[in-house]
Amino acid sequence: MIRIENLSKNYGAIQAVNNLTLSIGAGEVFGLLGPNGAGKTTTIKMLTLLTCPTSGSARINGLSTATDQQAIKRCISVVPQENNLDRELTAYENLRIYSMLHGIADSSRRIQECLELVDLWDRRDGLINRFSGGMQRRLLIARALLSEPTVLFLDEPSIGLDPQIRRQMWDVIRKTRIDGRTVVLTTHYIEEAEALCDRVGILAKGELIALDKPVSLLAMVGEYVVEYVNGEGKLIQRICRTRDEAHLAAQGRECCVTIRRSNLEDVFILLTGDRIE
Amino acid sequence: MMRAEWYPVFLREMLMFRRKLMKLGYLFSAMVVPIIYLVTFGLGLGRNVPIQGGDYLNYLIPGLVAMSSMNNSYTWVASALNLNRLYFKTFQVFVQSPIRSSSIMIGEVLAGMVKGLFASGLIVIVGFVMSRDLSITPLFVVTLLLNCFLFACLGVIVGMITKSHEDTSTYNNFFILPMAFFSGTFFPVDRMPDLLKWFVYIFPLTHTNIVIRKPALDGEGVASIVILAIYAALFFIAGSRLIKNYSE
Repeated sequence: MIRIENLSKNYGAIQAVNNLTLSIGAGEVFGLLGPNGAGKTTTIKMLTLLTCPTSGSARINGLSTATDQQAIKRCISVVPQENNLDRELTAYENLRIYSMLHGIADSSRRIQECLELVDLWDRRDGLINRFSGGMQRRLLIARALLSEPTVLFLDEPSIGLDPQIRRQMWDVIRKTRIDGRTVVLTTHYIEEAEALCDRVGILAKGELIALDKPVSLLAMVGEYVVEYVNGEGKLIQRICRTRDEAHLAAQGRECCVTIRRSNLEDVFILLTGDRIE
Repeated sequence: MMRAEWYPVFLREMLMFRRKLMKLGYLFSAMVVPIIYLVTFGLGLGRNVPIQGGDYLNYLIPGLVAMSSMNNSYTWVASALNLNRLYFKTFQVFVQSPIRSSSIMIGEVLAGMVKGLFASGLIVIVGFVMSRDLSITPLFVVTLLLNCFLFACLGVIVGMITKSHEDTSTYNNFFILPMAFFSGTFFPVDRMPDLLKWFVYIFPLTHTNIVIRKPALDGEGVASIVILAIYAALFFIAGSRLIKNYSE
């Protein structure tokens, strides 16, 4: 469905994405995970035709992002990281304009369906600048689903949302998986990638450093992590294969010790030595 | 029913414009500047100044209509496009939709024209109240439409190339403001020094001011219309290309 080969993007001397190569299958929910500045948004922008790559190529549904742009625009939708709704228009007007831009037939029915999907039908006549952040994010998803895209790109879909609203957002994203739709999302929330993605690619400084199912990536590091603060006030983390090994590692520590299950951030730390922030 | 690709781009602007019009403050502010010019130059300084064999107010009003149509068509488009591109990111929605770049251009330009015509219409209304000799000819209307089109196209160009919202004021200061004052809005261009006169004839607003005051088309008017049409075509092509090559 999506095939990326040696895709790179430079902004002057800064290499935002470096030789990215990967394939994403039809119907897959694929997550690009990494800290701020890792190149996630730049990758999405190249795939959604907002940014020209410096080199390399990408194909979506067999169509080239270099030569088949109009055809690609008909089969993809984007939920951008930054809210790009028209704040001075109502929810319904925003979706109406979008449906006209995409030539959506029977747009009134589709708009109602999509607004109901994200529980915003009752607020259809409300101005966007009076919507909460969570409502705006939900409306962005509704707008992206209007054209029934075969590939949906979500760039940091739950950024800035509180944990409760974030989980509501995940439910909405899970609903978008219908009809074999491919979903590509970027996130720097570990739990979001674990909760939603079939496969995860970890980006660091523009390079893909790991690519696998979340379970397989977690198996790289071990199931448990023991955390404690040492005498110098530094947080120490020890990865353990088994629960018994973790308990053994925790014994004899004088300060507060935490034993927890490992997550994708531990994979990231193992691979880069840095945290995802 | 098939709709033109440019229509949603235009409709979006009109929906927002309608909301602005509902605010009294907006309507008032749109009328303040031209009325100040009319009162200061027309009724104050120019009351006893005959120009081109007639009343100064009759000379001034078409010039103010041209200037106001330029200012509003240009500023609304340049400023809105710049903000939509750099801050609100709403321009991304157009770029990522399957419509042609020329359709985005047409929608933006038509919206700019409506705003320019609205502002100049207000001056025409005030002009009718203040002067009994003001007449609106078909040539006046065609020139006004061409002027709005041309400067809305220029607004797209500036809106697309500026790197920050503050940059738009730089273009205002270097191009729009000198044009407003030196292109025959307040006094005839032939009263200017020869060296400056040649320079002023490069400005499109000068040619708008020439044609908009003519009761009927003559040789000079045709030449000015052709120059305006060339500017309009060049600006339209340049704006469309900038949209087509847009990359963040």
